[in-house]
Amino acid sequence: MIAKWLDSSGAQSDVVISNRLRLARNLKGFPFAIKTTKSDQERIITLVNYALEDLNRLKTGRFLTQHELTPLVIQSLLERHLISPDFAVCKQQRAVFINNDETESLMINEEDHIRYQVLASGLDFKTSLARINDFDDQMAKEVEFAYSEELGFLTACPSNVGTGLRASVLVHLPGLVLTKEIEKVLRGILQIGLAVRGLYGEGTETKGNFFQVSNQQSLGRSETEIVEVIEKAVRQIINYERKARDYLYRNARIEIEDKIYRAQAILQNARIITSEEAINLLAVLRFGVTLGVISDISLKTINELLILTKPASLQLYYHKEMAPEERDEKRATLLRTRLGRKVDKSE
Amino acid sequence: MKLCDFCQKNEASITVTRVDKDGKSTELHLCAKCASQKGIGDIVKPHLSIVEILAELKAKIKDEDRKLVCPNCKLSYADFKRFGRLGCGVCYEAFAPRLLPLIKRMHGSVKHIGRKPAVGQKVAEIKFEVKRLRDELKKAIAAEDYEKAAQIRDRIKQVEESKDRQ
Repeated sequence: MIAKWLDSSGAQSDVVISNRLRLARNLKGFPFAIKTTKSDQERIITLVNYALEDLNRLKTGRFLTQHELTPLVIQSLLERHLISPDFAVCKQQRAVFINNDETESLMINEEDHIRYQVLASGLDFKTSLARINDFDDQMAKEVEFAYSEELGFLTACPSNVGTGLRASVLVHLPGLVLTKEIEKVLRGILQIGLAVRGLYGEGTETKGNFFQVSNQQSLGRSETEIVEVIEKAVRQIINYERKARDYLYRNARIEIEDKIYRAQAILQNARIITSEEAINLLAVLRFGVTLGVISDISLKTINELLILTKPASLQLYYHKEMAPEERDEKRATLLRTRLGRKVDKSE
Repeated sequence: MKLCDFCQKNEASITVTRVDKDGKSTELHLCAKCASQKGIGDIVKPHLSIVEILAELKAKIKDEDRKLVCPNCKLSYADFKRFGRLGCGVCYEAFAPRLLPLIKRMHGSVKHIGRKPAVGQKVAEIKFEVKRLRDELKKAIAAEDYEKAAQIRDRIKQVEESKDRQ
Protein backbone atom coordinates (compact mmCIF):
# COMPACT_ATOMS: atom_id res chain seq x y z
CA MET A 1 0.00 0.00 0.00
CA ILE A 2 1.20 3.47 -0.82
CA ALA A 3 1.48 6.01 1.99
CA LYS A 4 -1.18 8.69 1.62
CA TRP A 5 1.32 11.55 1.68
CA LEU A 6 3.06 10.19 -1.42
CA ASP A 7 -0.02 10.16 -3.63
CA SER A 8 0.74 13.61 -5.09
CA SER A 9 -2.88 14.69 -4.59
CA GLY A 10 -1.78 17.88 -2.84
CA ALA A 11 -1.28 21.37 -4.18
CA GLN A 12 1.82 22.24 -6.27
CA SER A 13 2.79 18.58 -6.54
CA ASP A 14 4.90 19.28 -9.64
CA VAL A 15 7.48 20.76 -7.27
CA VAL A 16 6.34 19.86 -3.76
CA ILE A 17 6.35 16.22 -2.72
CA SER A 18 5.12 16.66 0.83
CA ASN A 19 4.83 18.86 3.85
CA ARG A 20 5.65 17.73 7.34
CA LEU A 21 5.01 19.16 10.78
CA ARG A 22 6.74 17.81 13.84
CA LEU A 23 6.11 18.56 17.52
CA ALA A 24 8.64 17.92 20.27
CA ARG A 25 7.13 17.30 23.70
CA ASN A 26 8.48 16.07 27.03
CA LEU A 27 6.61 14.67 30.00
CA LYS A 28 6.77 16.62 33.23
CA GLY A 29 8.37 14.72 36.10
CA PHE A 30 10.87 12.81 33.95
CA PRO A 31 14.40 13.88 33.04
CA PHE A 32 15.19 14.37 29.34
CA ALA A 33 16.64 11.55 27.25
CA ILE A 34 20.33 11.79 28.23
CA LYS A 35 19.40 11.55 31.93
CA THR A 36 16.63 8.93 31.77
CA THR A 37 17.16 5.47 33.22
CA LYS A 38 15.91 2.35 31.49
CA SER A 39 13.01 2.25 33.93
CA ASP A 40 12.13 5.92 33.14
CA GLN A 41 12.14 5.04 29.47
CA GLU A 42 9.84 2.08 29.99
CA ARG A 43 7.46 4.15 32.10
CA ILE A 44 7.34 6.84 29.41
CA ILE A 45 6.49 4.23 26.78
CA THR A 46 3.70 2.82 28.99
CA LEU A 47 2.28 6.28 29.71
CA VAL A 48 2.19 7.27 26.05
CA ASN A 49 0.71 3.89 25.18
CA TYR A 50 -2.09 4.45 27.71
CA ALA A 51 -2.67 7.90 26.27
CA LEU A 52 -2.94 6.59 22.71
CA GLU A 53 -5.21 3.81 23.88
CA ASP A 54 -7.48 6.27 25.66
CA LEU A 55 -7.60 8.42 22.52
CA ASN A 56 -8.62 5.37 20.48
CA ARG A 57 -5.51 5.71 18.36
CA LEU A 58 -4.18 2.20 18.77
CA LYS A 59 -6.98 0.77 16.62
CA THR A 60 -6.02 3.05 13.75
CA GLY A 61 -2.39 2.08 13.51
CA ARG A 62 0.51 0.04 14.81
CA PHE A 63 2.38 0.51 18.06
CA LEU A 64 5.84 -1.01 17.56
CA THR A 65 7.99 -1.74 20.59
CA GLN A 66 11.62 -2.74 20.99
CA HIS A 67 11.34 -6.38 19.90
CA GLU A 68 9.33 -5.52 16.79
CA LEU A 69 11.83 -2.88 15.76
CA THR A 70 14.22 -5.19 13.93
CA PRO A 71 17.03 -3.62 11.88
CA LEU A 72 15.05 -4.21 8.67
CA VAL A 73 11.87 -2.61 10.04
CA ILE A 74 13.86 0.34 11.44
CA GLN A 75 15.52 0.87 8.07
CA SER A 76 12.25 0.73 6.16
CA LEU A 77 10.57 3.20 8.55
CA LEU A 78 13.49 5.51 7.99
CA GLU A 79 13.18 5.15 4.22
CA ARG A 80 9.49 6.04 4.50
CA HIS A 81 10.25 9.16 6.58
CA LEU A 82 8.31 7.77 9.55
CA ILE A 83 11.23 7.85 11.97
CA SER A 84 14.32 10.03 12.18
CA PRO A 85 17.93 8.94 11.59
CA ASP A 86 18.57 9.64 15.31
CA PHE A 87 15.75 7.35 16.37
CA ALA A 88 17.08 4.62 14.09
CA VAL A 89 20.37 4.47 15.95
CA CYS A 90 19.29 5.45 19.45
CA LYS A 91 20.22 3.10 22.27
CA GLN A 92 17.23 3.90 24.48
CA GLN A 93 14.19 1.75 25.13
CA ARG A 94 12.03 3.08 22.34
CA ALA A 95 8.69 2.65 20.65
CA VAL A 96 6.92 4.18 17.68
CA PHE A 97 3.28 4.56 16.71
CA ILE A 98 2.39 4.72 13.01
CA ASN A 99 -1.14 5.22 11.76
CA ASN A 100 -2.55 3.08 8.97
CA ASP A 101 -2.13 5.47 6.07
CA GLU A 102 1.34 6.49 7.32
CA THR A 103 0.47 10.18 7.55
CA GLU A 104 1.12 10.21 11.27
CA SER A 105 3.89 8.88 13.44
CA LEU A 106 4.91 9.26 17.04
CA MET A 107 8.39 8.38 18.26
CA ILE A 108 8.86 7.71 21.96
CA ASN A 109 12.26 8.30 23.58
CA GLU A 110 14.02 9.91 20.68
CA GLU A 111 15.82 13.11 21.70
CA ASP A 112 12.56 14.21 23.32
CA HIS A 113 10.08 11.89 25.04
CA ILE A 114 7.57 12.48 22.28
CA ARG A 115 8.19 13.41 18.67
CA TYR A 116 4.91 13.52 16.82
CA GLN A 117 4.69 14.22 13.10
CA VAL A 118 2.04 14.70 10.48
CA LEU A 119 2.90 14.17 6.81
CA ALA A 120 0.76 15.29 3.89
CA SER A 121 1.03 15.56 0.15
CA GLY A 122 1.68 18.99 -1.39
CA LEU A 123 1.92 22.34 0.35
CA ASP A 124 -1.30 22.34 2.40
CA PHE A 125 0.09 23.27 5.81
CA LYS A 126 -3.27 24.48 7.09
CA THR A 127 -4.78 21.00 7.28
CA SER A 128 -1.59 19.58 8.78
CA LEU A 129 -1.45 22.32 11.41
CA ALA A 130 -5.07 21.78 12.45
CA ARG A 131 -4.34 18.10 12.74
CA ILE A 132 -1.20 18.43 14.80
CA ASN A 133 -2.77 21.05 17.12
CA ASP A 134 -5.75 18.81 17.69
CA PHE A 135 -3.52 15.91 18.61
CA ASP A 136 -1.47 18.15 20.92
CA ASP A 137 -4.62 19.24 22.76
CA GLN A 138 -5.82 15.68 23.13
CA MET A 139 -2.45 14.50 24.43
CA ALA A 140 -2.28 17.36 26.95
CA LYS A 141 -5.42 15.96 28.56
CA GLU A 142 -3.70 12.60 28.96
CA VAL A 143 -0.25 13.56 30.20
CA GLU A 144 1.37 16.68 31.60
CA PHE A 145 3.96 18.28 29.35
CA ALA A 146 7.10 20.06 30.54
CA TYR A 147 6.13 23.69 29.93
CA SER A 148 7.07 27.13 31.19
CA GLU A 149 5.09 30.34 30.66
CA GLU A 150 8.24 32.13 29.54
CA LEU A 151 9.92 29.59 27.29
CA GLY A 152 6.97 27.44 26.22
CA PHE A 153 7.37 23.71 25.73
CA LEU A 154 10.71 22.61 27.17
CA THR A 155 12.84 20.41 24.93
CA ALA A 156 16.10 18.52 25.33
CA CYS A 157 17.83 20.82 22.85
CA PRO A 158 17.24 24.56 23.27
CA SER A 159 16.97 24.78 19.49
CA ASN A 160 13.45 23.31 19.69
CA VAL A 161 12.17 25.15 22.76
CA GLY A 162 8.99 27.23 22.58
CA THR A 163 6.51 25.78 20.14
CA GLY A 164 8.58 22.61 19.67
CA LEU A 165 7.43 22.88 16.08
CA ARG A 166 9.43 22.10 12.98
CA ALA A 167 7.75 22.60 9.66
CA SER A 168 9.39 21.25 6.53
CA VAL A 169 8.63 20.88 2.88
CA LEU A 170 10.18 18.32 0.57
CA VAL A 171 10.73 19.90 -2.84
CA HIS A 172 12.08 18.63 -6.15
CA LEU A 173 14.21 21.24 -7.90
CA PRO A 174 15.78 19.77 -11.05
CA GLY A 175 15.20 22.97 -13.01
CA LEU A 176 17.12 25.16 -10.58
CA VAL A 177 19.92 22.60 -10.38
CA LEU A 178 20.26 22.34 -14.16
CA THR A 179 20.18 26.12 -14.68
CA LYS A 180 22.75 26.38 -11.84
CA GLU A 181 20.54 28.86 -10.01
CA ILE A 182 20.11 26.56 -7.05
CA GLU A 183 22.99 28.04 -5.03
CA LYS A 184 21.47 31.49 -5.25
CA VAL A 185 18.02 30.28 -4.24
CA LEU A 186 19.35 28.22 -1.34
CA ARG A 187 21.39 31.15 -0.11
CA GLY A 188 18.23 33.24 -0.12
CA ILE A 189 16.47 30.61 1.99
CA LEU A 190 19.30 30.60 4.53
CA GLN A 191 19.22 34.38 4.68
CA ILE A 192 15.63 34.48 5.85
CA GLY A 193 16.55 32.09 8.66
CA LEU A 194 15.31 28.84 7.15
CA ALA A 195 17.38 25.68 6.77
CA VAL A 196 17.93 23.45 3.74
CA ARG A 197 18.74 19.79 4.07
CA GLY A 198 18.89 16.64 2.00
CA LEU A 199 16.15 14.06 1.52
CA TYR A 200 16.46 12.52 4.97
CA GLY A 201 17.13 15.60 7.05
CA GLU A 202 20.19 16.87 8.82
CA GLY A 203 23.49 15.88 7.27
CA THR A 204 22.03 13.82 4.44
CA GLU A 205 22.84 14.22 0.76
CA THR A 206 20.66 15.96 -1.73
CA LYS A 207 20.23 12.94 -4.00
CA GLY A 208 18.03 13.29 -7.06
CA ASN A 209 17.76 17.06 -6.54
CA PHE A 210 15.32 16.66 -3.66
CA PHE A 211 15.63 19.26 -0.91
CA GLN A 212 14.00 19.83 2.45
CA VAL A 213 13.27 23.37 3.54
CA SER A 214 12.49 23.89 7.21
CA ASN A 215 12.34 26.47 9.97
CA GLN A 216 15.16 26.80 12.47
CA GLN A 217 13.54 29.10 15.01
CA SER A 218 10.78 27.68 17.17
CA LEU A 219 10.51 30.37 19.84
CA GLY A 220 9.12 33.91 19.77
CA ARG A 221 6.63 33.30 17.00
CA SER A 222 3.34 31.48 16.81
CA GLU A 223 2.84 28.14 15.10
CA THR A 224 0.85 29.86 12.37
CA GLU A 225 3.65 32.36 11.74
CA ILE A 226 6.27 29.61 11.55
CA VAL A 227 4.25 27.79 8.94
CA GLU A 228 3.44 30.95 6.99
CA VAL A 229 7.10 31.95 6.66
CA ILE A 230 7.97 28.59 5.14
CA GLU A 231 4.91 28.50 2.94
CA LYS A 232 5.71 31.93 1.56
CA ALA A 233 9.34 30.98 0.90
CA VAL A 234 8.33 27.74 -0.79
CA ARG A 235 5.80 29.52 -3.02
CA GLN A 236 8.68 31.73 -4.13
CA ILE A 237 10.87 28.66 -4.78
CA ILE A 238 8.07 27.03 -6.75
CA ASN A 239 7.90 30.13 -8.94
CA TYR A 240 11.64 30.10 -9.60
CA GLU A 241 11.61 26.35 -10.27
CA ARG A 242 8.73 26.61 -12.75
CA LYS A 243 10.47 29.47 -14.55
CA ALA A 244 13.70 27.46 -14.71
CA ARG A 245 11.87 24.42 -16.11
CA ASP A 246 10.15 26.61 -18.65
CA TYR A 247 13.43 28.23 -19.65
CA LEU A 248 15.14 24.86 -20.03
CA TYR A 249 12.35 23.42 -22.09
CA ARG A 250 12.34 26.41 -24.42
CA ASN A 251 16.12 26.67 -24.80
CA ALA A 252 17.43 23.15 -24.49
CA ARG A 253 14.48 21.01 -25.44
CA ILE A 254 16.40 18.29 -27.27
CA GLU A 255 19.00 17.89 -24.52
CA ILE A 256 16.30 17.76 -21.82
CA GLU A 257 14.16 15.28 -23.73
CA ASP A 258 17.21 13.16 -24.40
CA LYS A 259 18.03 13.04 -20.70
CA ILE A 260 14.46 12.10 -19.81
CA TYR A 261 14.01 9.41 -22.48
CA ARG A 262 17.37 7.86 -21.60
CA ALA A 263 16.31 7.67 -17.95
CA GLN A 264 13.03 6.09 -18.96
CA ALA A 265 14.77 3.60 -21.24
CA ILE A 266 17.12 2.45 -18.48
CA LEU A 267 14.35 2.20 -15.90
CA GLN A 268 12.18 0.18 -18.30
CA ASN A 269 14.90 -2.15 -19.52
CA ALA A 270 17.74 -2.54 -17.07
CA ARG A 271 18.29 -5.90 -15.42
CA ILE A 272 20.46 -4.68 -12.56
CA ILE A 273 20.01 -1.34 -10.86
CA THR A 274 21.40 0.07 -7.60
CA SER A 275 19.31 2.10 -5.23
CA GLU A 276 21.28 5.24 -5.94
CA GLU A 277 20.91 4.89 -9.70
CA ALA A 278 17.20 4.26 -9.23
CA ILE A 279 16.62 7.43 -7.23
CA ASN A 280 18.58 9.55 -9.71
CA LEU A 281 16.78 8.15 -12.75
CA LEU A 282 13.36 8.30 -11.09
CA ALA A 283 14.07 11.94 -10.27
CA VAL A 284 14.76 12.62 -13.98
CA LEU A 285 11.61 10.71 -14.96
CA ARG A 286 9.62 12.78 -12.44
CA PHE A 287 10.99 15.89 -14.13
CA GLY A 288 9.84 14.47 -17.47
CA VAL A 289 6.30 13.92 -16.17
CA THR A 290 6.02 17.46 -14.79
CA LEU A 291 7.23 18.87 -18.14
CA GLY A 292 4.65 16.81 -19.96
CA VAL A 293 7.33 14.93 -21.93
CA ILE A 294 6.20 11.68 -20.30
CA SER A 295 2.44 11.33 -20.14
CA ASP A 296 1.69 7.68 -19.43
CA ILE A 297 3.33 7.50 -16.00
CA SER A 298 1.86 9.23 -12.95
CA LEU A 299 3.68 11.23 -10.29
CA LYS A 300 2.06 8.94 -7.76
CA THR A 301 3.74 5.90 -9.29
CA ILE A 302 7.11 7.63 -9.29
CA ASN A 303 6.77 8.88 -5.70
CA GLU A 304 5.87 5.37 -4.63
CA LEU A 305 8.83 3.82 -6.49
CA LEU A 306 11.19 6.34 -4.92
CA ILE A 307 10.42 4.67 -1.60
CA LEU A 308 9.79 1.07 -2.70
CA THR A 309 13.13 0.75 -4.45
CA LYS A 310 15.07 1.58 -1.28
CA PRO A 311 16.93 -1.41 0.19
CA ALA A 312 14.78 -2.26 3.23
CA SER A 313 11.44 -1.35 1.65
CA LEU A 314 12.30 -3.54 -1.32
CA GLN A 315 13.02 -6.51 0.94
CA LEU A 316 9.78 -6.02 2.86
CA TYR A 317 7.92 -5.72 -0.45
CA TYR A 318 9.26 -9.10 -1.58
CA HIS A 319 8.90 -10.51 1.95
CA LYS A 320 12.47 -11.75 2.11
CA GLU A 321 15.92 -10.71 3.12
CA MET A 322 18.22 -10.26 0.14
CA ALA A 323 21.90 -9.64 -0.43
CA PRO A 324 22.75 -6.42 -2.33
CA GLU A 325 23.22 -8.25 -5.69
CA GLU A 326 19.82 -9.89 -5.46
CA ARG A 327 18.23 -6.59 -4.44
CA ASP A 328 19.67 -4.83 -7.50
CA GLU A 329 18.08 -7.49 -9.71
CA LYS A 330 14.70 -7.41 -7.97
CA ARG A 331 14.74 -3.62 -8.02
CA ALA A 332 15.18 -3.66 -11.80
CA THR A 333 12.32 -6.17 -12.13
CA LEU A 334 10.03 -4.05 -9.96
CA LEU A 335 10.86 -0.91 -11.95
CA ARG A 336 10.25 -2.65 -15.30
CA THR A 337 6.93 -4.02 -14.10
CA ARG A 338 5.68 -0.78 -12.61
CA LEU A 339 6.87 1.48 -15.39
CA GLY A 340 5.03 -0.28 -18.16
CA ARG A 341 7.43 -2.81 -19.67
CA LYS A 342 6.22 -6.40 -19.66
CA VAL A 343 8.52 -8.74 -17.74
CA ASP A 344 10.43 -11.22 -19.93
CA LYS A 345 9.18 -14.77 -20.31
CA SER A 346 12.49 -16.02 -18.97
CA GLU A 347 11.62 -14.56 -15.55
CA MET B 1 33.98 52.81 19.67
CA LYS B 2 31.58 53.88 16.99
CA LEU B 3 28.48 55.79 18.01
CA CYS B 4 25.00 55.10 16.74
CA ASP B 5 24.18 57.23 13.67
CA PHE B 6 20.75 58.06 15.08
CA CYS B 7 21.04 58.80 18.79
CA GLN B 8 24.78 59.57 18.77
CA LYS B 9 24.82 58.31 22.36
CA ASN B 10 25.10 54.52 22.48
CA GLU B 11 27.68 52.28 20.92
CA ALA B 12 26.66 51.03 17.48
CA SER B 13 26.38 47.26 17.40
CA ILE B 14 24.45 46.69 14.18
CA THR B 15 25.49 47.62 10.68
CA VAL B 16 22.82 47.90 8.04
CA THR B 17 23.74 48.11 4.38
CA ARG B 18 21.18 49.84 2.22
CA VAL B 19 21.26 49.28 -1.51
CA ASP B 20 19.29 51.74 -3.65
CA LYS B 21 17.85 51.19 -7.12
CA ASP B 22 21.10 52.16 -8.86
CA GLY B 23 23.03 49.63 -6.84
CA LYS B 24 24.69 52.29 -4.69
CA SER B 25 25.12 51.13 -1.11
CA THR B 26 25.27 53.16 2.09
CA GLU B 27 26.13 51.86 5.53
CA LEU B 28 24.28 52.75 8.72
CA HIS B 29 25.61 52.03 12.18
CA LEU B 30 22.94 51.63 14.85
CA CYS B 31 22.73 50.76 18.49
CA ALA B 32 20.45 47.89 19.48
CA LYS B 33 17.84 50.27 20.93
CA CYS B 34 17.48 52.45 17.82
CA ALA B 35 17.58 49.40 15.56
CA SER B 36 14.69 47.78 17.38
CA GLN B 37 12.74 51.07 17.44
CA LYS B 38 13.09 51.26 13.69
CA GLY B 39 12.10 47.63 13.32
CA ILE B 40 15.54 46.77 12.00
CA GLY B 41 16.49 44.50 14.88
CA ASP B 42 13.89 42.02 13.72
CA ILE B 43 15.29 41.65 10.25
CA VAL B 44 18.86 41.19 11.40
CA LYS B 45 19.24 37.43 11.30
CA PRO B 46 21.79 35.39 13.22
CA HIS B 47 24.88 34.83 11.11
CA LEU B 48 25.26 31.26 12.27
CA SER B 49 22.75 28.47 11.89
CA ILE B 50 21.57 26.73 15.04
CA VAL B 51 23.65 23.67 14.21
CA GLU B 52 26.73 25.89 13.94
CA ILE B 53 25.94 27.62 17.24
CA LEU B 54 25.77 24.21 18.96
CA ALA B 55 29.02 23.10 17.35
CA GLU B 56 30.69 26.31 18.50
CA LEU B 57 29.67 25.60 22.13
CA LYS B 58 31.44 22.27 22.12
CA ALA B 59 34.72 23.92 21.24
CA LYS B 60 34.69 26.34 24.17
CA ILE B 61 34.28 24.36 27.39
CA LYS B 62 35.71 26.23 30.39
CA ASP B 63 36.44 25.23 33.99
CA GLU B 64 33.59 27.31 35.35
CA ASP B 65 31.19 25.35 33.10
CA ARG B 66 31.95 22.23 35.13
CA LYS B 67 31.01 23.97 38.38
CA LEU B 68 27.57 25.02 37.15
CA VAL B 69 25.37 21.99 37.88
CA CYS B 70 21.58 21.51 37.63
CA PRO B 71 20.25 20.77 41.15
CA ASN B 72 17.62 18.40 39.76
CA CYS B 73 19.36 16.13 37.25
CA LYS B 74 23.01 16.97 38.09
CA LEU B 75 23.94 17.78 34.52
CA SER B 76 26.78 20.30 34.40
CA TYR B 77 26.84 23.20 31.97
CA ALA B 78 30.01 21.67 30.54
CA ASP B 79 28.05 18.48 29.76
CA PHE B 80 25.38 20.56 28.10
CA LYS B 81 28.02 22.19 25.94
CA ARG B 82 29.50 18.81 25.09
CA PHE B 83 26.23 17.05 24.18
CA GLY B 84 24.20 20.06 23.08
CA ARG B 85 21.34 18.59 25.10
CA LEU B 86 19.87 19.49 28.47
CA GLY B 87 19.14 16.92 31.19
CA CYS B 88 15.72 18.06 32.39
CA GLY B 89 13.25 20.94 32.47
CA VAL B 90 14.91 22.41 35.57
CA CYS B 91 18.17 22.89 33.60
CA TYR B 92 16.47 25.82 31.84
CA GLU B 93 16.21 27.66 35.19
CA ALA B 94 19.51 26.43 36.60
CA PHE B 95 21.46 27.59 33.54
CA ALA B 96 19.27 30.62 32.76
CA PRO B 97 21.98 33.33 32.91
CA ARG B 98 24.12 31.38 30.42
CA LEU B 99 21.35 29.75 28.45
CA LEU B 100 19.06 32.70 27.78
CA PRO B 101 21.61 34.65 25.70
CA LEU B 102 22.22 31.47 23.72
CA ILE B 103 18.49 30.95 23.17
CA LYS B 104 18.24 34.58 22.11
CA ARG B 105 20.97 33.98 19.52
CA MET B 106 19.24 30.88 18.23
CA HIS B 107 15.68 32.17 18.07
CA GLY B 108 16.02 35.94 18.19
CA SER B 109 13.67 35.84 21.18
CA VAL B 110 13.32 34.47 24.70
CA LYS B 111 9.55 34.74 24.97
CA HIS B 112 7.11 32.01 23.97
CA ILE B 113 4.05 33.34 22.18
CA GLY B 114 2.74 30.09 20.76
CA ARG B 115 0.16 27.63 21.99
CA LYS B 116 -0.25 26.59 25.62
CA PRO B 117 -0.91 23.03 26.78
CA ALA B 118 -4.62 22.23 26.95
CA VAL B 119 -6.15 21.93 30.42
CA GLY B 120 -7.46 18.51 31.33
CA GLN B 121 -7.46 15.70 33.84
CA LYS B 122 -4.32 13.79 32.65
CA VAL B 123 -6.21 10.54 32.10
CA ALA B 124 -3.21 8.39 31.18
CA GLU B 125 -1.27 9.47 34.27
CA ILE B 126 -4.18 8.56 36.55
CA LYS B 127 -4.55 5.20 34.84
CA PHE B 128 -0.82 4.60 35.23
CA GLU B 129 -0.89 5.48 38.92
CA VAL B 130 -3.95 3.31 39.62
CA LYS B 131 -2.33 0.36 37.91
CA ARG B 132 0.86 0.85 39.90
CA LEU B 133 -1.10 0.99 43.15
CA ARG B 134 -3.10 -2.13 42.26
CA ASP B 135 0.15 -4.04 41.74
CA GLU B 136 1.30 -2.85 45.15
CA LEU B 137 -2.03 -3.86 46.65
CA LYS B 138 -1.65 -7.38 45.27
CA LYS B 139 1.80 -7.61 46.79
CA ALA B 140 0.57 -6.35 50.18
CA ILE B 141 -2.25 -8.89 50.19
CA ALA B 142 0.09 -11.71 49.20
CA ALA B 143 2.35 -10.70 52.09
CA GLU B 144 -0.73 -10.61 54.36
CA ASP B 145 0.05 -7.00 55.27
CA TYR B 146 -3.58 -6.00 55.57
CA GLU B 147 -2.93 -2.65 57.19
CA LYS B 148 -0.83 -1.58 54.24
CA ALA B 149 -3.39 -3.05 51.83
CA ALA B 150 -6.12 -0.91 53.39
CA GLN B 151 -3.96 2.20 53.01
CA ILE B 152 -3.30 1.44 49.38
CA ARG B 153 -7.00 0.82 48.76
CA ASP B 154 -7.79 4.26 50.18
CA ARG B 155 -5.13 5.79 47.99
CA ILE B 156 -6.58 4.13 44.88
CA LYS B 157 -9.99 5.50 45.79
CA GLN B 158 -8.51 8.97 46.17
CA VAL B 159 -6.75 8.87 42.81
CA GLU B 160 -9.87 7.58 41.05
CA GLU B 161 -12.02 10.24 42.68
CA SER B 162 -9.65 12.97 41.59
CA LYS B 163 -10.32 11.76 38.08
CA ASP B 164 -14.11 11.97 38.52
CA ARG B 165 -13.93 15.42 40.09
CA GLN B 166 -12.20 16.90 37.12
